[in-house]
Amino acid sequence: MEKQLNCYFDHSATTPLDLAISEWIKRTQGEIYGNPSSSHAVGRKAKNILELARKQMAEVLGCHSKEIIFTGSGTEANNSVLHSLLFQEKKHVVTSAIEHPAILSTLQHLEPLGLSYSIAGVDSRGKVNLSEIEKLIQTDTGLITIMTANNEVGTIQPISECSDLAKAHNIPFHSDAVQALGKISIQILLEQVDLMSFSAHKFYGPKGVGCLYKKENTNLHSFVYGGGQESNLRGGTENIIGIGAMALAAQLAVEQIKETTDHIKVLEYQFITGIKTIRDDIVFHGNSKSHIPGLISFAAPGMDNQKLLTLLDRENIFVSSGSACHSGLSTPSKILEAMDISESLNLSTIRVSFGKHNTDKEVQYFLSVLKKIWMG
Amino acid sequence: MEKVIVGMSGGVDSAVAAFLLKESGYDVEGVFMKNWNEDDDCPAEEDYKDALMVSEVLGIPLHSVNFSKEYWDNVFSTFLDEYKKGRTPNPDILCNKEIKFKAFLQYCIDLGADKIATGHYAKIVQSKNNYELHKGEDANKDQSYFLYTLGQEALSKSLFPLAALKKEEIREIAKSENLSVYNKKDSTGICFIGERDFKTFLKTYLFESPGDIVNSEGQVLGTHDGLMYYTLGQRQGLGIGGGHGEKNAPWYVSDKSIEKNELIAVQGKTHPNLYHKKLEASQLHWVSGGMPDLSQSYGAKIRYRSQDAKCTMEQISKDKVELTFQEAQFAIAPGQSVVFYDGDICLGGGIIDSRSN
Repeated sequence: MEKQLNCYFDHSATTPLDLAISEWIKRTQGEIYGNPSSSHAVGRKAKNILELARKQMAEVLGCHSKEIIFTGSGTEANNSVLHSLLFQEKKHVVTSAIEHPAILSTLQHLEPLGLSYSIAGVDSRGKVNLSEIEKLIQTDTGLITIMTANNEVGTIQPISECSDLAKAHNIPFHSDAVQALGKISIQILLEQVDLMSFSAHKFYGPKGVGCLYKKENTNLHSFVYGGGQESNLRGGTENIIGIGAMALAAQLAVEQIKETTDHIKVLEYQFITGIKTIRDDIVFHGNSKSHIPGLISFAAPGMDNQKLLTLLDRENIFVSSGSACHSGLSTPSKILEAMDISESLNLSTIRVSFGKHNTDKEVQYFLSVLKKIWMG
Repeated sequence: MEKVIVGMSGGVDSAVAAFLLKESGYDVEGVFMKNWNEDDDCPAEEDYKDALMVSEVLGIPLHSVNFSKEYWDNVFSTFLDEYKKGRTPNPDILCNKEIKFKAFLQYCIDLGADKIATGHYAKIVQSKNNYELHKGEDANKDQSYFLYTLGQEALSKSLFPLAALKKEEIREIAKSENLSVYNKKDSTGICFIGERDFKTFLKTYLFESPGDIVNSEGQVLGTHDGLMYYTLGQRQGLGIGGGHGEKNAPWYVSDKSIEKNELIAVQGKTHPNLYHKKLEASQLHWVSGGMPDLSQSYGAKIRYRSQDAKCTMEQISKDKVELTFQEAQFAIAPGQSVVFYDGDICLGGGIIDSRSN
């Protein structure tokens, strides 16, 4: 067994920077330093990078440049969408129980400011209940927001159906697609939503940059006030290099989508087949027929996930318990709770998320380590 | 190489403990332990950050473990029960017993550790077939009082790398090793309450039941907010001032009557009702596993900060001893632990049930 292998299987948390992207950053960051708002040559150069990136991002997503708003993160994109509700008449939001905290926690914080919300449940596979969404719609519902695919269990949500529902009630529809770009085809989905959030570091781009797709004529209020950047919707001098890198990363991710997903589907198959030969009591969460490729959430009964994570960390295998917070402590996952998974299974659940750089050798090593841990 | 897992709290003591072990050639790992879930459901981020920065400097892995459930069930619920009974519990002692040297120890053993280590100021001395618990070198910081519930099994699997050091030396080591926590403030008070107001904290868990403050003759002096807020020997915060009596001296809590919900106060710190020569203690624990020779006299601490007071011990039932002090002791508080010493050796202790003269 080769311990020197470094097995990073936590791509749903974040991805390493693609080599081409890091080269582009290295090349560009010394050269492009202007403020895109400056009218001189140095500023114009920066503005050019910014607008090229916007064009590139729009092409990747299949929309117009002016429908792209660059943000500091996917979380910020979600925040800006919800924050907008405060400035419109209809202040009620319908969402699901398995949204990222960037939605659920934001709603909680905006509630005292006048926003209200209702949360639809999910089935045991983590798929949102459409009829419940419909029932939760009120006369003052101003937004429906349902994530494209869940970050902990990988279940892909019925975006078309949600979108139809929203259209039928004339309600804007937002989807947090942070986990989806580069893993499932976005262009078709984008046509059906009014707003969609993305984050660069989930598709081999840099951290600290995201974007919001806003269909033309969709209402959105300025979120960060300042110098009028991003069509007055997000003040602050633009993170030119980050934005350029994100656009490039998005393009690569979409160009390589088939190659990447084919590769990680093979790894996923090897892993699932392998783990089933080690133990027959593994409980897989989510929907095996409709989930993000390469994301496997499973409970291995009998050992709490914190201990398993520690033992794997020692062997240079890096996975996560879906719910780890900033102090590395594991608490029962709210998403698994929403799926009605028992607490004991919840606390023995780990999430493995493969990426394009992983190899079958790494998967075999992972399996051998799991076997050693479980079988001694 | 022996594998040692250090309980890393994010403070300077455990940081230096980890450093010293690494220096002595152990295979060191850190585990950040959190026992209390704050309202924001992601507790202890600041402490975790500190622990993480230290572990990166030392080049050791840092894992996390959450014992909130065990802490709630085995420490905090007892803490509340004791308060309900008008007693003054010591949750830190219970935490060492139930969490650090039980749940955490077992967790680390399961992770393949040969031993665990903590940043306690105390010493483990191996003599023949026995492990002894001694006071730490820094008399001012000695924490053996909190560790008297440790038994042979726990001691045989624990290391206290700070045993021979003084606090200033620990901070110096931390500074010279570039450990960012070198000047971090020592934590004070009960861990889960932190810097919060004790009264406000307790109020969220226990029903507040105000009543009378009376003197030893039963005359009403004023009102109290709830017996749980007062400790025997307490002077401040009675709200009845001095000046009521002939001597114009301040009032002290000398007793509590749970039945009548009365707080009994006496005037002047030298009032005889504040002093007792005897106490009874149960829930006894002996570090060596057996009761010491009761024909000898020993030192006893009735609270963490008290000096060792000379006493003799008599066994009155299987799990109960009566102590007789050479000199009457101020404010012996039921619920607190009494810990016995033979010189620097911590022999064990028990929980104070009652006191008398």
